[in-house]
Amino acid sequence: MSYFKLPSGLRDILPQESARLDRTEEILRKKFKEAGFLSVRTAGIEYYDTLACIKSSVPQTKMFKMTDKDGNLIVLRPDMTLACARIAATKLREDSAKLCYFSNIYDFSASGNSDREVMQAGVEVFGEDGAESDADAVAFAIDCLKAVGLKNFIVDIGHVGFYKGLLEGSGLSEEAAEEIRGYINAKDAVNTEIALRSFGANGKAQAAILALPSLFGGVQILKDAESLTDNAGALNALRHLQKVYACLQKKGVEKYVSFDLGTVKSLSYYSGMVFTGLAEGVGAAVLSGGRYNDLCAQFGRDLSAVGFAIGLMRVLRAQEAEVKSGC
Amino acid sequence: MLNVALAKGRLADSCADIFIKCGIQAQILKEETRKLVLETPDKKFKFFFVKPSDVPTYVEYGIADIGIVGKDTLLEAGADLYEMLDLKFEKCKLCIAGFPEKKEMLTAPHLRVATKYVNTAKKLFFSRGEDVEIIKLNGSIELAPLTGLSDVIFDIVQSGGTLRANGLVVLEEVFDISARLVANKVSLKTKAAEILPLIAEMKKYIG
Repeated sequence: MSYFKLPSGLRDILPQESARLDRTEEILRKKFKEAGFLSVRTAGIEYYDTLACIKSSVPQTKMFKMTDKDGNLIVLRPDMTLACARIAATKLREDSAKLCYFSNIYDFSASGNSDREVMQAGVEVFGEDGAESDADAVAFAIDCLKAVGLKNFIVDIGHVGFYKGLLEGSGLSEEAAEEIRGYINAKDAVNTEIALRSFGANGKAQAAILALPSLFGGVQILKDAESLTDNAGALNALRHLQKVYACLQKKGVEKYVSFDLGTVKSLSYYSGMVFTGLAEGVGAAVLSGGRYNDLCAQFGRDLSAVGFAIGLMRVLRAQEAEVKSGC
Repeated sequence: MLNVALAKGRLADSCADIFIKCGIQAQILKEETRKLVLETPDKKFKFFFVKPSDVPTYVEYGIADIGIVGKDTLLEAGADLYEMLDLKFEKCKLCIAGFPEKKEMLTAPHLRVATKYVNTAKKLFFSRGEDVEIIKLNGSIELAPLTGLSDVIFDIVQSGGTLRANGLVVLEEVFDISARLVANKVSLKTKAAEILPLIAEMKKYIG
């Protein structure tokens, strides 16, 4: 009987837990519907080439790959945002759309604190741009996390344009920038400094990049960051986040928000603001999203877009943690 | 309350000293005990004693909010966490070592390397475009070249005493190692009010 088991990183969900997932899903379905999102179900298997031709897509090593009858390489859906962007760009006619989904994605290489089959509930807004649209997405994310019963959480906001701006004129090669990005993402100031020196980044950029690992916290870090650079792109990113924060203040949800300019994820399709939902007792993000204005154009139609996905199993763990801590 | 994962052994002693200097009621860490979980009297800190290589795991999963562990262990674990502070104690170096005559063999095809640090060694030789055979050992790494199991070893060297006693030398110093304070990526933000002042305080006592 020893072979009646599951591959690593996968699990069955039994009735008791499944019922809790259903309840959480129901709440979110209602939320999404009230906010005007239309549900889609995208194909579970896609061509590898479709994803491979997209710039900054999912790395090959993260995809479950198989061969189709005709010899084409096919993959288990690795990402819902890519799937929704493909649909919005190639199958919908309207210039704006609000889509939502409840689907699994598959991550071949996931290990440690991540599963290989991830149940996600997410929304994608196409055809809207600007600080207000970004703030709407963040505020809705906060609303959703509250609706599923979380209290001890924050939404941590960053902007890919800030690091990109600092890199401009730093004299760093793409390879060097990618190595340093890894160190910054781990807030590893020691290796960031060693690498900046050995790659010979110019003085002003060096000081600014070195400050990145400590540029996180309340809204005041946006002010602190201003003095570090005179790059137009980086300053624009800061101004944009200030505007987003002002909108969030108007909505009265600023107490759930923090900032981190050192969140520089690997090769992602995000083009502007990025954010993650962090809940106590889970150890990994329960929600993740951002703006990706350059993605739909690669599928043939230029549409600005912003969205986020909620990890349902992690929400369940966050709910349990809240019960344990007695709130 | 802040949960702290500490590596059992020598490192835990140095950690206790720095915590006490920072005004944490960490005297309990100095007491002889077989307990695996210790709480400070003021209930502000809970310490877990784990195997060094398990510190990154406890922190990545968020069971511990922060942890103290050697950079060698972090390199090998490759866990997704924040590396907040170089504590600058327990200094040593990750080196390639062997008999002196092996020096020119380092770039030879199919070099045999014995190590505990399999992932780190793989990454290192891969980045140099060299094919090597990595032989995983769990202890007494120096024995491998003596007995002909491997050409060289990839291991941490503190004083170099064991190497010298066995006629081996450091062929190349690869990484500087010291103890690091690491934090869970979520805890750093959700418990910022507890973690950040602690880091600021610890910075004052780093030599």
